[in-house]
Amino acid sequence: MLRLTLAQMRRSLGRLSAAAVAIAIGAAFLAATLIAGGVITRTGYDAVTAQYARADVVVSGGVLTPAERRAIHDQPTVAFADPLAPPSLEIRHGRTRLQMVLPVPSDPRLGTLTVAHGTAPRTPNEIALPPATASALGIDVGDTVEAREPSGQLADLVVVGITDDPRHAWSQFGGAGLVTPGAVQQLGLDDPAEVADTYLVAAAAGVTPTELRDSLSPLIDSATVMTRDEAASAKISEMSNGDDFLLASVLGFAAVALLVAALVIANTFQVLVAQRAHTLALLRCVGATKGQLRRSVLLEAAILGFGSALVGLVAGTVLAQTALAALNRAEVDAPLPSMVQITPAVVLVPLLVGTLVTVLSALVPAREATRVAPVAALRPVDAPAVRALAGRVRLAISLLFVAGGAGLLVLAALMANRVPGSANYLLGVGMLGGAVSFLGVLLGAVFWVPRIVALVGRALASTGTSAKLAAANTVRNPRRTAATSTALLIGVTLVVMMSTGAASARTTMSRELDDHYPVDLLVDQAFGDGTQAIDVTGVRQALGRVDGVRKVVFLREVVVNSDNGSLPLVGGDREDIAAVLRGDAPVAGLADDTILVPASAKDLHLTGDVKVRAETRAADGGTGPDGPSVEVHAVGSDLGGYQAIVTNATFDRIAPDAPVSSVWVSLDPDADPGEVLQDVRSALPDGTLEVVSAAAQRVSDARFVDTMLGIVIGLLAVAVVIALIGVANTLSLSVLERRRESATLRAIGLSRRQLRWMLAVEGMLIAGVGALLGAGLGLLYGWAGSAVIFGSLEEVVLSVPWRDLLLVMLVALVAGLLASVLPGRTAARTSPVAALAVD
Amino acid sequence: MDTTVYRPVDLPPASSARALTKVYGRGAAAVHALDGVDVDFAAGAFTAIMGPSGSGKSTLMHVLAGLDQATSGTARLGDTEITALGDDALTRLRRDRVGFVFQSFNLLPMFTAEQNILLPLELAGAPVDREWFDTLVETLGLGQRLTHRPSELSGGQQQRVAIARALIARPDVVFADEPTGNLDSRSGAEVLSFLRRSVRELGRTIIMVTHDPTAAAYADRVVMLADGRIAGDIDDPTPESVLMGLDALRALDQPVVR
Repeated sequence: MLRLTLAQMRRSLGRLSAAAVAIAIGAAFLAATLIAGGVITRTGYDAVTAQYARADVVVSGGVLTPAERRAIHDQPTVAFADPLAPPSLEIRHGRTRLQMVLPVPSDPRLGTLTVAHGTAPRTPNEIALPPATASALGIDVGDTVEAREPSGQLADLVVVGITDDPRHAWSQFGGAGLVTPGAVQQLGLDDPAEVADTYLVAAAAGVTPTELRDSLSPLIDSATVMTRDEAASAKISEMSNGDDFLLASVLGFAAVALLVAALVIANTFQVLVAQRAHTLALLRCVGATKGQLRRSVLLEAAILGFGSALVGLVAGTVLAQTALAALNRAEVDAPLPSMVQITPAVVLVPLLVGTLVTVLSALVPAREATRVAPVAALRPVDAPAVRALAGRVRLAISLLFVAGGAGLLVLAALMANRVPGSANYLLGVGMLGGAVSFLGVLLGAVFWVPRIVALVGRALASTGTSAKLAAANTVRNPRRTAATSTALLIGVTLVVMMSTGAASARTTMSRELDDHYPVDLLVDQAFGDGTQAIDVTGVRQALGRVDGVRKVVFLREVVVNSDNGSLPLVGGDREDIAAVLRGDAPVAGLADDTILVPASAKDLHLTGDVKVRAETRAADGGTGPDGPSVEVHAVGSDLGGYQAIVTNATFDRIAPDAPVSSVWVSLDPDADPGEVLQDVRSALPDGTLEVVSAAAQRVSDARFVDTMLGIVIGLLAVAVVIALIGVANTLSLSVLERRRESATLRAIGLSRRQLRWMLAVEGMLIAGVGALLGAGLGLLYGWAGSAVIFGSLEEVVLSVPWRDLLLVMLVALVAGLLASVLPGRTAARTSPVAALAVD
Repeated sequence: MDTTVYRPVDLPPASSARALTKVYGRGAAAVHALDGVDVDFAAGAFTAIMGPSGSGKSTLMHVLAGLDQATSGTARLGDTEITALGDDALTRLRRDRVGFVFQSFNLLPMFTAEQNILLPLELAGAPVDREWFDTLVETLGLGQRLTHRPSELSGGQQQRVAIARALIARPDVVFADEPTGNLDSRSGAEVLSFLRRSVRELGRTIIMVTHDPTAAAYADRVVMLADGRIAGDIDDPTPESVLMGLDALRALDQPVVR
């Protein structure tokens, strides 16, 4: 039987190749993912052990009490002990950069940084910076920088050295600088000893790490005492929980790719069994049992799966190694290994999974093989009969899953609006609902996909004979067409879902920003309640120097009390305010003696004529007596932000003495808001002003969303590629099956070009319908997902990513066309004489 | 309907071959499937080509119908020298001027009988002559079957649909390759009668390849082929005369005692 199986495989080599490629890609994906996971873990391990420097013992897991700290320092076995809690400083030198700094260690054994150039700081007025920061701020040894704890006072520090981090302990934080412990104190940073949850300890001469550990253990209750190696592996197992999650999500994408591959394989084997019906029947005639036939098909699948997975494993490893080499050449600032590590899991998992997926996909075709009646051998071979649609059980299960899953999803989306704080739980419910309903959709695909293909095909049939033939061909074998379309549908659904979710996220986040800030960029005092005076001339000059600033409006601001509550109020020129507000903001209602109330102050119910009184400031900075009561006409609006707006004249009546304290800025539409923000920050005269840019935030939010989307779509692309191989596979199997039919068509006058076009239309029809349905489903799932995730934040905006949808359709159609090229050539080569052949 | 009985008198031949050769393989392995064939097939006649297996009768038909290339010599369809045509021109020629009837019917399984019949016109983008279509359907007795798919038709019905398909574009010549090979004798006789009627009553030209003397006897003329050469020609054949012709061929062909 083995010889027979092998002989049959040899004869069907061409037919098996597409399935082999599908499996190989899936296995390669799996192998590369596992290898990448290994590299990430190892890089993390190296970084962690690097952070522990050459300490003998690490005390970690909790903040030590002062008594415990003293006890450590008093132990004779201890030479040195340093807390490990690097604070961050805002370093300013033209531009500003947040920089992690380490206190100079009390012993070189406890230090991770070396000084590449210059010296280590010795006085509290000195600092050493990592090369990245130095070059970003244009600093060299000898320069002076301003530094402060992010909310503290500025201090001048002299740069005395450039640090080096030979073991990349702090690479993931952008490097680290050095200051003296005295500087830490002087800058008002937290005492590391009081916040550190990790202590590095160096042993006295002649004391081994184990002895040191044992001597310290009894003294410390708030933390765990471990040798450096123990601490590193403990830290890793704690960290790798996060890495495992990352790995698990990427493996999820690999699973999708393999699922799609499974559909391609099942298709291939179904066709193989149908084509071999004659041979199988003959075998049954001469005495092969059903079991033997089933085993033969499964053995074939196992051989195919194992072989392809092996190829995929090698390809995945080579790919990972190439990527690693490229990263190493690009001198990424991380301690990357130079060779990938081949663990047993990296080898075994792709091989086993690849083989298993192939065998499982071949189960149904194998059962079909046993159903071939021996008498079939005596009948003339006909084209494989059109199979009836699947049974009612399947339909029932499919409907149940779709309804149940959709119900869960809708429930989660509705709850998200009502029950705040249950986000994670609801997300879980939503994901479960989505997965179950999608499973239902896939199970039911065989019922509805062929119908839709037929519908679209009928519409196309009027465009020509080739299209009509193609349309008729695609519905001949509903199950195969359904499986092929479904394979593509899976990938497209996920891609469009992510893209829709991202679009909704972008819009929702952007609207949230609109609600918080009425203008692109806002400058006011960093302390106080926003009504403190600012240096108008200085700010005006500074902003005048910045490119990309379109309009600057200076506003007086005061807090006013009404009978219903208090809110901040700004006063300015009506035209100026209208010009600086974003979009078509509602300044129409703004006139003298009216107060424009922002949407956020709806709860105050300020409508009609209201009385307001300005808060005043007493000489000691506290609140003084309220100003005169002024009657104004309140107009509600959907203005963003928190400030109500009045005209200058009205403001003079309410708070004549209030200084200019707020600057509203609008930006040129084509300026990069992030750059403008940086420039504004650098240009402003001193550090007491706060700059908030909704525009910059919006851009960086969008960039973050796009980056995540890009990664996810990149991962899903593998599944889409496999599905497209599936389309090519189905077409070429059809071509083989319909050899005589193609020849007949050629004989009665179909030209080669028409024949090729017929297959092209078939390919585009299958791919296009898969993509169309996937796009529709993805849109629904994307909306549902956004509703669940963002529903708890604000009202969700459901966006349609038209550009992405169009792109997906275009890619699908072009791919369908390309998938038909090779099968089309094969079909066109068929000589019309073949139509006359009897077999 | 014109019911005149057409007779092959003095019309130019519908199809002809001159010094036609077809060689498969080369060198020592070369097989001369056709070895200098000269033959004319009259328009408006039903001609059968007969011969034992390997005599070259199928090859002759393939070349005459523009399905296969000749090695040398010329084949003509009416005035057109088809041995000089390229693939596209041959495709057009087959579409517009030639009809085929195959041994295994070769209907498209996804189309109904009517769609199958009309397919050649659709490929050519030609309008449907409803009167001619009705004539064919009536003559072939397909009236009740037009909406059926091939899988719902018997072999004889399928072959009648195939004949209608071959005739729908009013081709110059219909080539039939063992049209009764897959049929029982009754359906076979029916199909042959239809072929003869389409020649006698509808004025078509049919060239049929067969190895069955009874089938050949339905033709107006039988051309015998052996070893790639013309080996006999029988006008107004009967099963007996065809059998005699075949026997003569065997005597000629196989002098060696078995």
